[in-house]
Amino acid sequence: MLKAFRWWWGILLAFSLLAAARIFLPLPFINEVVIFSIYTMGCSFLLGRVGFISFGQPAYLAVGAYATAFYLFYFGTNPYIGILLGVLAGCVVSFIVGPLFVRLRSDYFALVNLALAVIVFYLMQKVLAGITHGDNGLWFLTNIASTPVLDLSRPNHFFIFAMLVALAVWAFYKYLDDSIYGACCLATKINEDKFTFLGYSNFRVRLLAFVIANTTTALAGAMYAVYLGFVSPEMSSPSRAADPVVVTILGGVGTLYGPIVGAFAYTGMKDVISKLIGNWELFIGFLLVFIMLAGEKGIWGTLEPWLEKLLWRKKAAAGTAGPDEARR
Amino acid sequence: MDAQLLISGVIFGLSIGSIFFLMAIGLSLCFGLMRIISLDQMLYYSIGAYITYSVSLGTGSVWLGVLGGCAVAGIAAFAVERLIFRRIYERELTFSMITSFGILIGGIGVIKYFWGVVPRPVPVPVMTQIDIVGTEVPVYRLIVVAVAFLVYAGIWLFLNRTITGKAIRAGIEDVEHVEGLGINVSRLFTITFIIAGTLSGLAGGLHAPLIMVDPQMGIEVLAFVFMVVIIGGLGSIKGTLISAFIVGQVVSIGSLIYAPLAQMAPFAVMLLILLVKPTGLYGAALAKR
Repeated sequence: MLKAFRWWWGILLAFSLLAAARIFLPLPFINEVVIFSIYTMGCSFLLGRVGFISFGQPAYLAVGAYATAFYLFYFGTNPYIGILLGVLAGCVVSFIVGPLFVRLRSDYFALVNLALAVIVFYLMQKVLAGITHGDNGLWFLTNIASTPVLDLSRPNHFFIFAMLVALAVWAFYKYLDDSIYGACCLATKINEDKFTFLGYSNFRVRLLAFVIANTTTALAGAMYAVYLGFVSPEMSSPSRAADPVVVTILGGVGTLYGPIVGAFAYTGMKDVISKLIGNWELFIGFLLVFIMLAGEKGIWGTLEPWLEKLLWRKKAAAGTAGPDEARR
Repeated sequence: MDAQLLISGVIFGLSIGSIFFLMAIGLSLCFGLMRIISLDQMLYYSIGAYITYSVSLGTGSVWLGVLGGCAVAGIAAFAVERLIFRRIYERELTFSMITSFGILIGGIGVIKYFWGVVPRPVPVPVMTQIDIVGTEVPVYRLIVVAVAFLVYAGIWLFLNRTITGKAIRAGIEDVEHVEGLGINVSRLFTITFIIAGTLSGLAGGLHAPLIMVDPQMGIEVLAFVFMVVIIGGLGSIKGTLISAFIVGQVVSIGSLIYAPLAQMAPFAVMLLILLVKPTGLYGAALAKR
């Protein structure tokens, strides 16, 4: 049964489980989990497949969110066009900074990316305060028009839309994992010299991965903007830079379902613990340290082989029982 | 721009560059010897500033506070090194980065718990101003610059004239050979980490009278320290000194021309330098062991 998660319809299975959770969990929680898992997917892909750790994800999240917000606040009312513009903006920005960033070694990449997140934060908070309204943020919930089939201004319709988008994103990443390109990404992570020797270009593979991952992040940002109906610089705050990395590691680095499991666990813990103690940062910091010291496989990474073993043992027991019966 | 404004701008840039240098040197040393990226240096910086605030409030002497800040930051660094970093030296570089970011975020939570989120002021210990070519310059900023140069000289003497320092320099080249010579590398790591933490605490203590002390101060300064380390090249002390003053001047002169430039200009400089030399000004091609 668990092997099913490795096949194509495993994605459907995972998402129908998530949709089933809708019955006994509140809607805002599930919406948050779905958007957060899309947000984390980009980071997980970069860290697990290409070996780039990115503390700069909030920057791309903010780019997507603000592009959507600008459209909905100043120009139009259609949320679908807003989301499309957000994704486009994320794609353009990562194409501009990508060629500079992916040339760097992994450690420099992490530092430069975090610096970018800080710059975007200042840009939105202070430099562009005239159009972003600084710390007050942009409020445009009432600007979002009702659309005919899926009305994004209604939370339960938004949930269906978010599920469809997430399904598409997962199908895309599943396709990437199975394709030759996915193998190329892993190859640059493991041995870049050998990869060059085989006649491939490290730079191109990494650039494409960078653009794909950050466009996904921008998509999550755009969806946040439409879902919440407001954006503020807080979104790209450097103190939240660790969130996607924490969730990635919590779920299991580079696994396909890690981001969903991680986002589910993280959002759940955040809801429960922020009710108990007000000091959320303290908890997340030490959780991060604890996970790193305990091992880096995360929840899904630990669970998967364990469950597999359990199921396999059962099957093996059934298998040995069979011949025994026959012998008698 | 008139000359007076320019001179005070240059002095401001020098003092802010000195603070960046004191913090970046810890990051640089840790990377050079242990091959870790220790983001928790920003935590020791905040600790240094907060201890300076509390001690100066209690005793009335800021200098005593700076001293106390250094000591507490050093002790905190020692504890973190023994409890956490000890276990992750042999793992990958990104690993140390994630862990130390966790320590930084958690530490900020601890600071919020003890001191609250309200920004706190620290009095300037030396109020006198001296006259340099017709411009009134606060003496305290000059003292900060002098301290930075003293620390640079001290670190240089330590690394070149003492056995421990020589062992550290040799360790930056090849730590396995140093271990083979019978030097206790684990103790060397602890000493380096404590030095780094103490210097960050010193930076925090010296910076406290110039700004307001608040829990997010470590994260605010993070981007600049990163830029300093990246421009100078990870693992090089001389590069760190030069790039700290470059970044300091860019921040200060940039903000004179157009205020938001203070945050953006160093980033542009960093991108330009990385475009020309991806390892920074003095960064050697150091590989992960």
